[in-house]
Amino acid sequence: MTYFADKQSLVADIFSRYPDSPQGRRSALMPLLREVQDAEGFVNGTRLDEIAALCGTTATEVRSVMSFYSTYHTLPTGKYHLQVCSTVMCSLAGSDELWDHLVETLDVQPGEVSPDGRFSVQKVECLGSCGTAPMMQINDDGYYENVTPSKCARILESLHADLQPLPDNPVPVTVNAEGRQVLASGEAIGASITGLGQLPPITPGGEA
Amino acid sequence: MKVHVDGVELELPAGTSAIDAVFEAGGDVPYFCAHKYLSPVGACRMCLVETGSPRKEKDGSFVLDDATGQPKIFWFPKPMASCTMQATEGMHIKSARSSEVVAKAQAGMMEFTLLNHPLDCPTCDKGGACELQDRAFEYGYGASRFGFDRRHADKHYPLSDFIILDQERCIHCKRCVRYFEEVPGQEVLDFIERGGHTFIDTEEGGLPTGFQGNIADICPVGALLDNVARFRGRNWEYDHTPTTCTLCSVGCSITVDARNGRLERIVARENREVNEAWICDAGRFGHAFASERRLTVPLVRVDGELQEASWDVAIAAIRAGMTRHNATDLALYLNADSTLEEGVALEALADAVGSPHVDHWPRYEVSLDAMPNGAATLSDVATADAVVVIGADLGEEAPILELRILEMLRGGLLPPEYAHGTAIADLRLVERPARKPEKLAVIGKETRLWQHAGIRASSNGHNALERLSRPDTAELQAALKLLTDSEKVIIILGADVLNGASGSFAAQLSELATRTGAKVLAIPAGANSKGLAALNLVPREGGLPFARVADAPAAFISRLDPGVRARGLTIVHDSHLTATARLADVVLPAVTNYEKRGTTVNLEGRLLELEQAALSAGEAADLIRTLTAVSEALGVRAPVRGLKSAQALAEQKLGLRLGELPERGVIHAFRSSHVAPTEQTHVPHLWTERMQPSIQTLIPANLQPLPMLGAAPVGGDD
Repeated sequence: MTYFADKQSLVADIFSRYPDSPQGRRSALMPLLREVQDAEGFVNGTRLDEIAALCGTTATEVRSVMSFYSTYHTLPTGKYHLQVCSTVMCSLAGSDELWDHLVETLDVQPGEVSPDGRFSVQKVECLGSCGTAPMMQINDDGYYENVTPSKCARILESLHADLQPLPDNPVPVTVNAEGRQVLASGEAIGASITGLGQLPPITPGGEA
Repeated sequence: MKVHVDGVELELPAGTSAIDAVFEAGGDVPYFCAHKYLSPVGACRMCLVETGSPRKEKDGSFVLDDATGQPKIFWFPKPMASCTMQATEGMHIKSARSSEVVAKAQAGMMEFTLLNHPLDCPTCDKGGACELQDRAFEYGYGASRFGFDRRHADKHYPLSDFIILDQERCIHCKRCVRYFEEVPGQEVLDFIERGGHTFIDTEEGGLPTGFQGNIADICPVGALLDNVARFRGRNWEYDHTPTTCTLCSVGCSITVDARNGRLERIVARENREVNEAWICDAGRFGHAFASERRLTVPLVRVDGELQEASWDVAIAAIRAGMTRHNATDLALYLNADSTLEEGVALEALADAVGSPHVDHWPRYEVSLDAMPNGAATLSDVATADAVVVIGADLGEEAPILELRILEMLRGGLLPPEYAHGTAIADLRLVERPARKPEKLAVIGKETRLWQHAGIRASSNGHNALERLSRPDTAELQAALKLLTDSEKVIIILGADVLNGASGSFAAQLSELATRTGAKVLAIPAGANSKGLAALNLVPREGGLPFARVADAPAAFISRLDPGVRARGLTIVHDSHLTATARLADVVLPAVTNYEKRGTTVNLEGRLLELEQAALSAGEAADLIRTLTAVSEALGVRAPVRGLKSAQALAEQKLGLRLGELPERGVIHAFRSSHVAPTEQTHVPHLWTERMQPSIQTLIPANLQPLPMLGAAPVGGDD
């Protein structure tokens, strides 16, 4: 059973965004990968071949593109995919301890899924939230910032109960017409060079 | 265009890259990722130079230097990669010779490149012929400041049966990836992961057979190695013999590397006119026969059994056997990959004894030398506007011709030539070139070339040309339109149409060529069929063709294996104990084409020289010397007694000086061409049984596997 067999309109929509040429067809690679990963949590070899055939390229090329980005997975991920930033700022602020704690308490290594199918972990490079280090991202839902041991324990406890706390910052970041970063509600957050407002005070430990 | 390199003013053609400018000035720049026949990408950053250009005011006058009154040179703030930089009018370039900044930048880049490169040189097959080794010696710091553990990765990763990858040694120059994309048009190799974790891999379950071996040649380090030659010798131990490959009629330039009398490795040699820098896998890996199970002494049948004998005994046996026959009864057959000199010797002997039964095989019974618009060369194919391939399986008949056709599809850009050789970086070549499949029509069976062709028409061989002249399908109409409308067109003909083709075929083809202005390139059946056709080596009045060897009263068969014997005395001259040799009365040991001096003629009509590699072959002899022995047994004075006398006779007969040919060969149009019915069809077959590399035989069967760590856990960061 191929993934895109019954999604012809979606495939046509994706291809319509790019020029109708061999090079243009290759450009559809990324959205097709994203589509499969969003649906299945990872992209396996069969899907790789299918996408290669759709784009008119080879599975090698697809894997090459895919492996360049740490956000595509070739192995199954858990219901909650915890991505811990391990770059310098977070590392200084204790991300190594956070990582060790996660790996030990959840009994899961990178590339594995915990026995209950809930958790998988991954070290990622800088997610651009250095001011609130250490931080982690859960799935594509958002950033959990200033993850102290107590906050980590609170998050894991809620996740075990399948009650995912709201992230401190949502992703993807949306930008309005004025170039301001806004939340889903439309509320502008952060600073910009045109609107140098006072930043909200940082609550240590977060609200999670 | 005037360019200043290290203070020396040079006159260069427009479009020259900065790296070629430095080489043209007699200087040197280290580089790993640039390659003469691949696109320059600036991946390795080794070829850093300082460059600067004059700048113009709005009125078109140069900005002048206040101090000197000369045009002021505006230098780039940082060193630039010279392989991707085009030299421009008035540009100044400083290489490491005149710039300390460049010397330091290059040494720094070398340090980066060597960070993760293992110190394997003592056990690495590339050692002694390694670009990284040489450049590290010339341009490196000489010491490492890196005190940490290096990257560890798979060291014995087989990409295919023929190519083995050492991931630790790879310096990520991307030559192999670009080679597969740009040359054979197969996107089967790519970088996986990124940064320090990057490695080369394929998802296609191996590399496609055909042209994969070339990546072992172009790898600047010992990451991609020829698995057939792996651990067989060090580069300084090999006897390097530059010669010509005679497995097919392309005649690629190769270097044969022998060690202790064994042929261990074949690598490609550059010939801009013929194979550029590439050879096919059969030519590279299919050399097992040159060193395995060779016949080294003559064999003579005594009491029904073949027994080892001396040449004198063998000559006596032939003489005794010939007492039952007239000398004119002795049929003389030779393989069509024999050299021109050998052909001359055999023709002279046939004339001397008056035997009508003379033939060479494989060959076709039609001569297409006298076509309008002249003969097509391989460079013509690469720069053509359109190519129509009829009834050819190029993978079996002439693999490199396939690469030249693919070169035509991506624009036919032949890199320019300088005093220092082919341009190191031709800036017109780009990564992922756009191909124009509509310029290629393939008519015939489905072959590897089929997938690259814009116009494909299924057809069987014998009427393909007739159908093309009067097209009955849309595809054939498109092919004919391509022929008629394009400026420079080449028609390539293969075995399917040439088998059984006759004079009427030649007339029809000639008419089509005249009508469309196309040049014709017929792929000869044998490696030297084109040269041997100029000699009278076909059955004469009442003579038997090779197909009827079984009817010959007596036969001398040189390096052919019909699997039957003649009615009477059968003499086989071969390098191996073939099925025919097992049936023979006398078997004379032959040398392979790797061990010959002589001349071969490729499909363009280009004369190319063979050189003798240092292989141990016992008492084996080439055809010229063998024929002197046969002459002696027949009681005639051998008309040709050696290479020099064969070349003298060739000069007399063909008006052609052999022996001192330029390295790239010369095109020669032969005046005469002999044709005769063959009475059998030729099935081209490149890889024969005896060419299969016997890698398995090198491993003792009773070998115990070493205790190994368990497999690494699957997965990783991706």
